[in-house]
Amino acid sequence: MSDAAAQVGLPPVTPEEDHKVSEGKGRAFLGIPVVGWMLIFFGVPYFLLFLQSLWEPTAFGVAHNWTLENYKLVFLGDTLSGNIYIPTLLRSLKVGAMVTICATLLAFPIAYLLAFKISNSRTRLMLYVLVIVPLWASYLLRAYAWKVILGQNGLLGSVLDQLGLENTFLNNLLYSQTAVVITMTHIFTPFMILTIYAVLERLPPSLIEASKDLGVGRMKTFLTLVVPLSLPGVIAGATFTMGLSSGDFVAPQLVGGKNDVMIANQVYSQFGATNNWPLGSAIAFVLLGFVAILVALSTQAEKREQL
Amino acid sequence: MINAESGLTGAPTAGAPAGHAAAVELDNVTKRYGDVMAVEDLDLRVEDGQFLTLLGPSGCGKTTTLRLIGGFEAPNRGEIRIAGDDMSSRPAYKRPVNTVFQQYALFPHLSVSQNVGYGLRHAGVSRSDTAQRVAAMMELMQIPDVGERRPRELSGGQQQRVALARALVMEPKVLLLDEPLGALDYKLRKEMQFELKRIHREVGVTFIYVTHDQEEAMTMSDRIVVMSNGHIEQDASPAEIFDRPLTAFVADFIGDTNIVHGTVTRIDNGHATVDVGPLGEIGGSTDDDLKSGDRVRVSIRPTDVRVEAGAAGEAVVQDSVLVGGHIAMKIASGDETVVAHVARGSSYEPGANVHLHVDSDRIRVFAAAEGA
Repeated sequence: MSDAAAQVGLPPVTPEEDHKVSEGKGRAFLGIPVVGWMLIFFGVPYFLLFLQSLWEPTAFGVAHNWTLENYKLVFLGDTLSGNIYIPTLLRSLKVGAMVTICATLLAFPIAYLLAFKISNSRTRLMLYVLVIVPLWASYLLRAYAWKVILGQNGLLGSVLDQLGLENTFLNNLLYSQTAVVITMTHIFTPFMILTIYAVLERLPPSLIEASKDLGVGRMKTFLTLVVPLSLPGVIAGATFTMGLSSGDFVAPQLVGGKNDVMIANQVYSQFGATNNWPLGSAIAFVLLGFVAILVALSTQAEKREQL
Repeated sequence: MINAESGLTGAPTAGAPAGHAAAVELDNVTKRYGDVMAVEDLDLRVEDGQFLTLLGPSGCGKTTTLRLIGGFEAPNRGEIRIAGDDMSSRPAYKRPVNTVFQQYALFPHLSVSQNVGYGLRHAGVSRSDTAQRVAAMMELMQIPDVGERRPRELSGGQQQRVALARALVMEPKVLLLDEPLGALDYKLRKEMQFELKRIHREVGVTFIYVTHDQEEAMTMSDRIVVMSNGHIEQDASPAEIFDRPLTAFVADFIGDTNIVHGTVTRIDNGHATVDVGPLGEIGGSTDDDLKSGDRVRVSIRPTDVRVEAGAAGEAVVQDSVLVGGHIAMKIASGDETVVAHVARGSSYEPGANVHLHVDSDRIRVFAAAEGA
């Protein structure tokens, strides 16, 4: 064995090593890298962040005194500037919900097309690649692209100009919540397509045939059969999109206006310009709490759907 | 309903007699997938109330035929009529037929009652009427108490009954069954064969049943259509198919048989005498156009071979195994190997010299050329 391995340029394997892997005696140790990874890169930072959120901010840093003031500030605000964080959080969730709805509406027909209407496997593969390709470009690049498209003298504007159309609505498009939603919809639609496609692809065609066989037409079959059976995929994609888009800070910063600040921008500024790490940590944990509730709810829903 | 019309069994398949529409008629139907000919120039006439089985190996075109009738495939050529109406422009959801699918295709997100009531509800039948008809149908299927459960909580046999109920509750003119027992284990399959027969008797609907299992076809059908390579090989009653197969393919496919080769020595009004080398002369009936000296294939059922002690050099027992109630012996005679089924206690040990008697009116003689 060693000779053969040496011949093809592989490191020689001692019989003992070979034995250990195949026997699976200490197989638990195979999990160590994963657990270690999660602990070092997720567990520890989260724990430190949580400690941070319970400390007292000072003018130049952090005093290690236990306090719940940071959370009180997030939920209740202060007398000076009122309550700003919870409304921002709600706005973030609203933007996230809008992105999720738009992405679902866009993604479903495409996933349906891919799964049922394209019978040529080569065409399907090509379309599938087209869906994935945007994921290879950097997020920042794609967000910037929308700045170019939506700007007053941007792509959309000049096309409308060429057509001799009034483009006054464009005046307010860039640097608005609409722009934020458009940009994030573009970014999250591919994920949505992939999760819905994964479910539709596994749907046995005989179910659809059975529905037609029982006298139910195309549209009704789609509504009473395909839509309910695709819900697990829609829920998975929606959870993903909702979680990521309501916690986004790049799109609002690039294409959003002054009033479109989202909760992640607040966190960002507390850790940056304002230099109030304890408050930033507290906001982050409140956001994390909301997302955790969302994931728990969707997991429940998904379980019910699969029954 | 069944009796009045099943007298037409075995009537010519092409062309409908005036004033009487068959449940299903196929005229010259051809279906191609690319270069593959799935069904070619098929003529078929299924009478009202019949239990007809399309039987053949996989790829013979039987499932395609069923899907053409159901409206899931469109023919390249030919006409399909159901109860006299041309179906060429009618999609599956407008045809008066219902299907029991191979893997049942029950809707996983609906309860059993909702599955069975699915078609009725969408046809605009009221909630209370639907509930009543669903309950009656589930009673007929002997699964009255599973209505609230989800399909996947049921056993295979129960799922099978739900699929049947869901199709029959629509009161179709024709029920199409696509290898519905394929997913069940042997014992349950046996049981369901009798169940299907009972249900067919009780509802009186025309059944068109697709299977590759000749035993299943034999047990249940009024009429069997044996298919191979997109053609009909034979269309007759189960007994006739077994006793008087039209082609060597049918003889081989239906039941166990020995096919041995020989030369015709005498031909007399549909009865051929064949010299089969070491086995001697064997007489059998034939529908082929044969003359003296033709090479032929002779089909001999294992049950028609009698085995006696014989002299050395004639035939030798190679193997002898117990198969259920009888013993199957493999016997070599010259170049030919023959399987004989004999009663327990009258078998011979491997290596024994035996003599074979072959004499039965079930012996069939076919021209040697393929497709004759």
